[in-house]
Amino acid sequence: MISRSQIKNIDWILIALLVVNTLVGIAVIYSSSHHLSSNYYLRQFFWMFLGLAVLFVLLTVEYNLLVTYSLYFYIACVSILGVILLFGKLIAGTKSWIKLEFIQIQPSEITKIAIILLLARIFSEYKRKYLSNEAGLSSCAFVMLPILLVALQPDLGTALSYIPILFGAFLLAGLTRKTLVTLLIIAVVMGIVSWGFLLKDYQKDRITTLLTPDKDPLGTGYHILQSKIAIGSGGLLGKGYARGSQSQLQFLPARHTDFIFAVIGEELGFVGVVVIGVFYFLFLTRLFQSVSQSRDRTGMYIIFMVALMITSQFFINVFMTIGLFPIAGIPLPLLSYGGSSLLTNYIAVSLVLNVKMRRFVNI
Amino acid sequence: MMNNKIYEDLSLVSSRAKIAFVVVRILFVILIIYFWKLQILDFQVFWQKSEENRIREIIVTPQRGLIRERNGVVLAKNIASFKASLIRENCEDYDESYARISKILDLPPEVLKERIDKYRSLPLFQPIVVKDNLTHEEVARIKARQYELPELVVQSEPKRNYPFGTLASHVLGYLQEVSPAEMEMERYKSRRMGDLIGKTGVEKQYEDSLVGEEGKVFEIVDSIGRKIGEISRIDPIRGNEIYLTLDFELQKKAEEILEGREGAVVVMKPDTGEILAMASYPNFDPNKFINRFTPEEWVDLINSPEYPLQNRAIRGLYSPGSLFKPCMLLAGLDQGTVNESTSYTCRGSVIIYGHPFACWKADGHGVVNLYSALQHSCNIYFYQLGKRMGIEEIARYARMLGLGSPTHIDLPGEKTGLVPDPEWKKRVRDEPWYPGETISVSIGQGPLLVTPLQIAVLTAQIANRGLRVTPYICEGETNGTHEIERQPKDKGVRSPISQEYFEKVIQGMWRSVNDRGTSALARIRDFDVCGKTGSAQVVSKATAEKLAQQKIEIKTHSWFTGFAPKDEPKVLVSLIVEYGGGGGATAAPSARELFELYREKYD
Repeated sequence: MISRSQIKNIDWILIALLVVNTLVGIAVIYSSSHHLSSNYYLRQFFWMFLGLAVLFVLLTVEYNLLVTYSLYFYIACVSILGVILLFGKLIAGTKSWIKLEFIQIQPSEITKIAIILLLARIFSEYKRKYLSNEAGLSSCAFVMLPILLVALQPDLGTALSYIPILFGAFLLAGLTRKTLVTLLIIAVVMGIVSWGFLLKDYQKDRITTLLTPDKDPLGTGYHILQSKIAIGSGGLLGKGYARGSQSQLQFLPARHTDFIFAVIGEELGFVGVVVIGVFYFLFLTRLFQSVSQSRDRTGMYIIFMVALMITSQFFINVFMTIGLFPIAGIPLPLLSYGGSSLLTNYIAVSLVLNVKMRRFVNI
Repeated sequence: MMNNKIYEDLSLVSSRAKIAFVVVRILFVILIIYFWKLQILDFQVFWQKSEENRIREIIVTPQRGLIRERNGVVLAKNIASFKASLIRENCEDYDESYARISKILDLPPEVLKERIDKYRSLPLFQPIVVKDNLTHEEVARIKARQYELPELVVQSEPKRNYPFGTLASHVLGYLQEVSPAEMEMERYKSRRMGDLIGKTGVEKQYEDSLVGEEGKVFEIVDSIGRKIGEISRIDPIRGNEIYLTLDFELQKKAEEILEGREGAVVVMKPDTGEILAMASYPNFDPNKFINRFTPEEWVDLINSPEYPLQNRAIRGLYSPGSLFKPCMLLAGLDQGTVNESTSYTCRGSVIIYGHPFACWKADGHGVVNLYSALQHSCNIYFYQLGKRMGIEEIARYARMLGLGSPTHIDLPGEKTGLVPDPEWKKRVRDEPWYPGETISVSIGQGPLLVTPLQIAVLTAQIANRGLRVTPYICEGETNGTHEIERQPKDKGVRSPISQEYFEKVIQGMWRSVNDRGTSALARIRDFDVCGKTGSAQVVSKATAEKLAQQKIEIKTHSWFTGFAPKDEPKVLVSLIVEYGGGGGATAAPSARELFELYREKYD
């Protein structure tokens, strides 16, 4: 199902940027976890190759076919989320994992793909100038269900990372001023309700800590403070690869996962941050520029939602490490250690490639 | 190129995506600016902070000071002990860690989890103690798994040990983990979570001397927290050694005497106030408390109806019974209510204010003067004396002689007792004072309450012919250079009551022991013991009469207090056995054993 011309149209630059950023991540993961018994950098290599394999295999399937069956995929994902919520075993305090023979899978990550495909299906035939109430509400309902299931695991960070995907779809569908205000009001009301009833104390602490991180430096503010110390003490050129005292002496929490950007800041300095930031920026730019290189509406939605999903997670994570966003447990796409997250991002990029390579093909 | 039939116009959608990308570019610029601020402008501040982080400060717990008795026998020391701690940073999966550790240490996972949650605010690299007093097998088991379980570490620490177990347990006290409430207090502000502090007795009173000063090691640590170098070290300073006034053998004897009987014993030097022995039964083994976790024994002890943790010598409140009679006599003589020629006739009972009041001897003592009143402990004499003095005067003299106020011994938690008067009754019970109550108080019954130590200090004042001393348990301290800093000796306060009246009371007490009086069983040849027995009623008069009608024997608290020898007194013994029956039969012979031991050892 794949022709020669399509192979010719594969965006190899995007794949190169994807791999380069992943390799940067692996290098930093090695620096921050080489002393731990589990070889995280090797595992991440494994995930990268698995991701590339899946990426190329998926290219053979027409994306519109994937969109057509997206509802079944979505139902499967939601069912798995429901089942692990009921019968799952707690790992690291949440029920977000399925444990296989030697690897653990986080279904909540893969669910992002299902949401993207389903929203693409809902909006594929959407030709109005602005988002209508029916389309808005029905897509909202489809996304709220997995958000709820994941939030109950409890993994609020991942649950909230679904929202930018939905917001991406809304943006393309077009938001009138009225809709925007309505969405804003809903967000504020939801915020107040969850503060009053849903959020646990430690989650509230994380939010109040943003305002006063020095109040309790050994308590809730510890992570943010240590992360800021790590980044700030890196200076212009950094302390050198695998030489960050914060990271190497373990003052920095979750170094190889959520706080990996702090390790970059400490060990490679401002120069390293800018260089890696530029690589990342090029990757994101390539994604956003791909939006217009789709032959149909479905493809545009897919690419834009993928771009926004990765971009939003990038900013949330980096803002978190410098204390501008609450600690949400959202990994840095491509750079953080985490198999499910990496695999999901590779599949997402695969969808982008899929759309791009078929842009000249007649239906 | 564009075929409009196939390609619909998507320029609107495409332009919206471009606007979003503009926002992304702006955010990137903001991000770079913020990193510029953090890493270039604020670099110095954060670099300083990270330097402080790399050097890890390790606290070295000082050895707690020893506690010795007067001749140097060690009553509290330190032994090596191991504790297991969890380093959360090395945990990959908490639940799995809990499960495995709970198997190794034989702890329920919930207890483990609760413990970790309690200290969740500590930094992740700080070890949290999960079990102490490890056995050698447990240490071996942990060591064998140190590579699979890097989060579980063994640390050694000095552990308090009381080699004689229950001996002097109430005086020594015990240690327990400092509570969050105590950490707020000024006294414990330098303590850390998980530190053990003295909770009662000498361990609490002299905590500041015993605890020493903690040492610090500043070390550079490697990536998994292992020490790779030491920058500097401040050695811990061992706590001061405390010398107590206690005499090991007298203490042991006092506890043997009480064994199995609830009560208290105080052996004291009357001229200085040194406590030679202080015993309380039931007792406890303080070794069992030195544990960061609440053991079942602790709960059992707290909930026990016999209050084994209470030091009855300073916290037990009892009616003094006839022990109050010397006090009454001193008051009467000083007031001029009675003198050497005053006598009353005892017919076994007397009617005062329309109510019959009985003497303990049903057929009466006949004509009684002040000496024979003390000798035979005749109630009638003191009823008449009390009636003539009135409650206000009785209360004034009782207070003058130290009742109703603390003795100021250097032990925590002393009770003050109670000297009742009409003002007190009005305030506390909102009832008027009945004249009949004055008659009860005259023989040490009614609401009058004393501690055994107050009785001992009162006896010392009589023995000293009016000189009142402050009792003490700590002889001095040494900081290792063997210089004992003696506690400043209390010169004592002289009573306004004339010395000659004390001589008369002593004469009566001498007769009580040596002239076939109530204390005859305390007599020792050539040691001139002077003493007084007491049999304090535990129930009210009305209940007692009811029980007597039913022919139920009422067991009274059995008291004795006395000193020896009569001239130049060297030792005094005050002793109470709860529900021991008559003071003469139970308490007096027990006291005799202590007098004899003292004489053997020191005379």
